[in-house]
Amino acid sequence: MNLQKINVKFFVADPGAVQLEPFVGIFNSWIQAADGEYYDLADYSHVPDGPGILLIAHEANISMDNSGNELGLLYNRKQPLEGSNREKLRRAFAAALQYCRRIEAESVLEGRLHFRGGEALVLINDRLLAPNTEETLGAIRADVEDLVRTLYAGSEFSLQREQDPRKRFGLRIKTPVSFDVATLLKNMESSVN
Amino acid sequence: MSESAQWKEKLGSRIPSDLGREIDIFETQIELRKQGKIDERVFAETRLRRGIYGQRYDNGQRHDGQKIQKLRLPSAGLTKGPETIWDAPGMMRIKIPFGGLNPEQMEALADLSEEYADGISHVTTRQDIQYHFVHIEDTASLMRRLAAVDITTREACGNVVRNVTACPLAGVCRDEVFDVTPYAKACSKFLLGHPDTQDFGRKFKVAFSGCAQHPCGLTSMHDLGAIAKMESHNGVERRGFEFYVGGGLGAVPYKAQLFNSFLPEEEFLPMAQAIARVFARLGEKRNRARARIKFLIANLGIEKFREMVLEEREKLTADPQWTDYLHDVRLQVENPLKGGTALNGGERPDGFNAWYATNVYRQRQRGYAAATITLPLGDITADQLRALADIARCFVKETIRTTVEQNILLRWVSETDLPELYTALKPIGLAEPNAGTIVDVTACPGTDTCKLGIASSRGLAKELRQRLSEKNFQLDQAVKDLRIKVSGCFNSCGQHHIADIGFYGISRNINGYTVPHFQVMLGGKFKDNAGAYGLAIGAVPSKRIPEVVTRVTDRYVAERQKGESFQDFISRIGKKETKAMLDDLTKVPAHDIAPAFYSDWGDPREFTLNDMGVGECAGEVVSQAQFTLAASERELFEAQIWFDSGDVKKAVTTAYGAMVRAAQALVKMQNYDVSNDDEAVVAEFRQRFCDTQLFYDKYAGSSFADHLFKARDALKQANGVDKGVALRRLQEAQLFIDAAHSCYNKLSATESSERASDAAQPEARGT
Repeated sequence: MNLQKINVKFFVADPGAVQLEPFVGIFNSWIQAADGEYYDLADYSHVPDGPGILLIAHEANISMDNSGNELGLLYNRKQPLEGSNREKLRRAFAAALQYCRRIEAESVLEGRLHFRGGEALVLINDRLLAPNTEETLGAIRADVEDLVRTLYAGSEFSLQREQDPRKRFGLRIKTPVSFDVATLLKNMESSVN
Repeated sequence: MSESAQWKEKLGSRIPSDLGREIDIFETQIELRKQGKIDERVFAETRLRRGIYGQRYDNGQRHDGQKIQKLRLPSAGLTKGPETIWDAPGMMRIKIPFGGLNPEQMEALADLSEEYADGISHVTTRQDIQYHFVHIEDTASLMRRLAAVDITTREACGNVVRNVTACPLAGVCRDEVFDVTPYAKACSKFLLGHPDTQDFGRKFKVAFSGCAQHPCGLTSMHDLGAIAKMESHNGVERRGFEFYVGGGLGAVPYKAQLFNSFLPEEEFLPMAQAIARVFARLGEKRNRARARIKFLIANLGIEKFREMVLEEREKLTADPQWTDYLHDVRLQVENPLKGGTALNGGERPDGFNAWYATNVYRQRQRGYAAATITLPLGDITADQLRALADIARCFVKETIRTTVEQNILLRWVSETDLPELYTALKPIGLAEPNAGTIVDVTACPGTDTCKLGIASSRGLAKELRQRLSEKNFQLDQAVKDLRIKVSGCFNSCGQHHIADIGFYGISRNINGYTVPHFQVMLGGKFKDNAGAYGLAIGAVPSKRIPEVVTRVTDRYVAERQKGESFQDFISRIGKKETKAMLDDLTKVPAHDIAPAFYSDWGDPREFTLNDMGVGECAGEVVSQAQFTLAASERELFEAQIWFDSGDVKKAVTTAYGAMVRAAQALVKMQNYDVSNDDEAVVAEFRQRFCDTQLFYDKYAGSSFADHLFKARDALKQANGVDKGVALRRLQEAQLFIDAAHSCYNKLSATESSERASDAAQPEARGT
């Protein structure tokens, strides 16, 4: 299976501490700083448990996503990635974590927002390529486990597949150990070096 | 294999063959455009007619609040229309005739919004569904998956017949004359892709209503509006329609005019066809601002227009489709899932009564109700839509409708199930009350995604919703019953003209700054099928619009006379007084005192008009000859594919078909009604273009035309075709098509210069 359209979501530790509205301003400042990389913003903060505030780009959309009433940073890769599945997963996770770090550092949020690194969601946004089945899980399990071992530095973890067959293939990754974004990024970087 | 081809294989026979063929053709057109073999204007109108619309910033630039940024789009100069970059995300409009949906379709829409858009299905003010941020390369897959659930995007945009809308209560309404649903369905099917609806200068909208007094159908603001009517004829009751033409909103709103006070049901489709033919023939094509049928009717006068349409009607050859559907019109009844039982005195969940008061409509059928699902700004998430499909399966059958107020209606709910339905809707955030009240603000996309948007209609609508729902419980019932509608510009997609309180986006220059404003429109009438248009009162800065709403509604509550409607109140106090009431709100504080006035709702950037683009609402005026020439190119491309796959016979046949199509394109310039029969086309081509030497090359003489005749003769012979001959035939077909293009260009240039000369004549006389 040639994995593409990988989505990765990390959840906000204390969702009650932040509102969605400030992300319109934050993402607008990212647009101003990026010189053409990001095309537009979409504000769906009025929709309950929805896609939140999105930053639209060609390669990947970034959003503060509130689907399932779980506020988090969603990295939605749209354009194909090169390399093995393992490498593609690694790149998607690294990109998501970089964005998490950037958000945590936003001065507007005054340090109120942190992501809990001990849980993540991987979605494959392509029902043709990756139907939500045990077969798909079987095809990518080894690559995901390999990545998660690196991410959580060998700590124990669990994988739970989304059970509604109509929904996209999704895996919830959980470890009982607490991790922050900086540590996860360090773990990922050390595996490359 | 491409993703689209994989979907084609996977979905197989679930895709109706006609829709499948349409999508195959479009996919080939995409390929040809990428190879530069279709002109960008022709491709633009081609994609529009498949529902693929441009979106703000698709010209590759965006003002970020400080400067204009050139967007990094990897398109290498490829465009999908004038000033429309290939890789720029766009909008996809999906036609939902009369708003009818079933749970399977809702699930498909949910899936597609996740995979190809931003996760939101947006219900429009004409019962369509829209996705935003869709990549053109994904559109063929998207269309195939929609086709598998019997949905098409064909003719959702462009200069064609748009989605046929109808009252969402049709069939269950307590006041309707009869159920208009089967007529709307038949009309939608009949006019879709009909040869007589392909050459309009502008779009054409049709609406049906079951009664005259309610707003649901909005027939008065449509190009063609039909209101159900019964008439007694020789003691026999007959079904028919009060038939209206020439309505429309936009910058210059017109109320539809009565064409026929009773058009019998069997005459509906032929009359629609006759109107289409007159519009195609006489409607304005060059000046798009005057190209809607309302202008044609205004120019001709309704009597003359009627006379011409009736003449055209007489000339039409009978078509079985006109009446075939009537055989089972009365059999098309919806079935409920459960028996109809009245709402009993059982326990009611918290919040139920408020929801029941605004969102539940008691049906004509005893024991049943229609429940409105309030969608904020018409938006619903993929998870919500899937869950709603599940809920629908538990309570109703395939009896779901989208509404022009951007909501969804579940019909045929047993009244006794309403508390349970409410309880099921609550956890998915779809149990919001206030449907059809002042809180339920309607808005077009505006500056969020529309290239023509001036001010943020959705931003304002969101702000108003929030403020009004917070104080909803304090509002007087007369105020609750009012409607607010917001458009991002004068084009009126938000239908501001027919709201009690309407707004449309404009800008004003204040001390060197451009400031977002809204024009205030008061006293429009949603009732009586959009019975009256509002009065423009004046321009107010965007940030002061919530105060306008408060001030106007407070005064209405304080000063209205017993039973006085809002329209009557506004009319009574008069425009001068209304304007004076808002006068202080029109002032804009200095930039350094109140900078918030200089940005729009929900947008932190300093306001600018630099992001406005060229709208695609009007589409590209592309003649039928140009479309047919593009079709010939596409067929030749398919011939090449047959050749490459080794099927030389099919390659030669298809190449000949491509040549005939190119010949047909030219004949269409002189005879729009040319037959589709190959022999007839070739004969007319010979007579009109070869015998007259219009199709004649200065150097090659008649040799290009000879390629067509030679190919025709060769096909008649039963000889086998070898690869060499087939290749030559393909090359000759290309030469013929190229020559057809040259001939078209030459004739078009002559026509243009003749027109210019005609136009200059009166001036010359004047001097």
